[in-house]
Amino acid sequence: MPDNVAYFHAAYAATIALLIGYAVSIVVRRRRVAQRRAQRATAGGRGA
Amino acid sequence: MTPAPTGSAPAPTAPTARTGIDWVAVVAALVTVAAFVRAIWFTPPDLLQGYAQKIMYVHVPTIWVAFLALGLSALSGAFWLFLKDPRLDRFAESSAEVGVVFTTGVLVTGPIWAKPIWGAWWVWDARLTLTLVLWFLFLGYLVLRGAIDDRELRARYSAVVGLLGALLIPFVHLSVYIFRTQHPMPVVANPEGIQMPAVMQVTFFFSLFAFTLMYVAFVRARMALATDRDALEDASTAER
Repeated sequence: MPDNVAYFHAAYAATIALLIGYAVSIVVRRRRVAQRRAQRATAGGRGA
Repeated sequence: MTPAPTGSAPAPTAPTARTGIDWVAVVAALVTVAAFVRAIWFTPPDLLQGYAQKIMYVHVPTIWVAFLALGLSALSGAFWLFLKDPRLDRFAESSAEVGVVFTTGVLVTGPIWAKPIWGAWWVWDARLTLTLVLWFLFLGYLVLRGAIDDRELRARYSAVVGLLGALLIPFVHLSVYIFRTQHPMPVVANPEGIQMPAVMQVTFFFSLFAFTLMYVAFVRARMALATDRDALEDASTAER
């Protein structure tokens, strides 16, 4: 059997990094939108 | 939590997506972890390819999800052209983005598998080249969406680009039959039946299920983001 376990580890590490990275990117973007909504609501409240 | 403004009427707010724990995402994450554990520790390596063969349990489900995501994105865009329902456009956008992420996964895991088996990270054969073109097409789709502010115009243009891009999917899948390629024939979607021992089949289909669940969870989360963003845009427009 050929010794290529490093490639197997690399592929799984890359996949896990990609999935976690994308999940984090969605959470960060959603939080940013929520912050902008909160800022707008605060500014709207002050301006009224 | 958003602090309520005091001493004056609150600004009008558009409906947003639900917040809190998404149980679909939790289940998808747990099932995916279980699939990884089974593939890494409870499935034997292939006698000829060694441990590199185990890359199949992430590589093939990844391209399955990529095809599913990009295909459904195109379909949703096509329906939007007739129904003009903003939810269809949001789904098309979300599914396309998830599809690009998974196509990126294919383009990363493929060369890592190819190097020990073929002796080269990349060869310009039909399957690999068409997959790269598909990735570029849908990357262009996302760039196009980001470049157009008008929501209806953005939905219409991206629906057409998405439909044209998705036409490539059958060619990518059938490329190994149409052209002489370095890429092997499918071991699962093979006309002569599944070319794999039972223990590997269980791991493979479990992984396929896990990645499909991940797709559902990602699209739900991404649609929630798109809904919140549209609500913010609506509220900003209403204020002007």
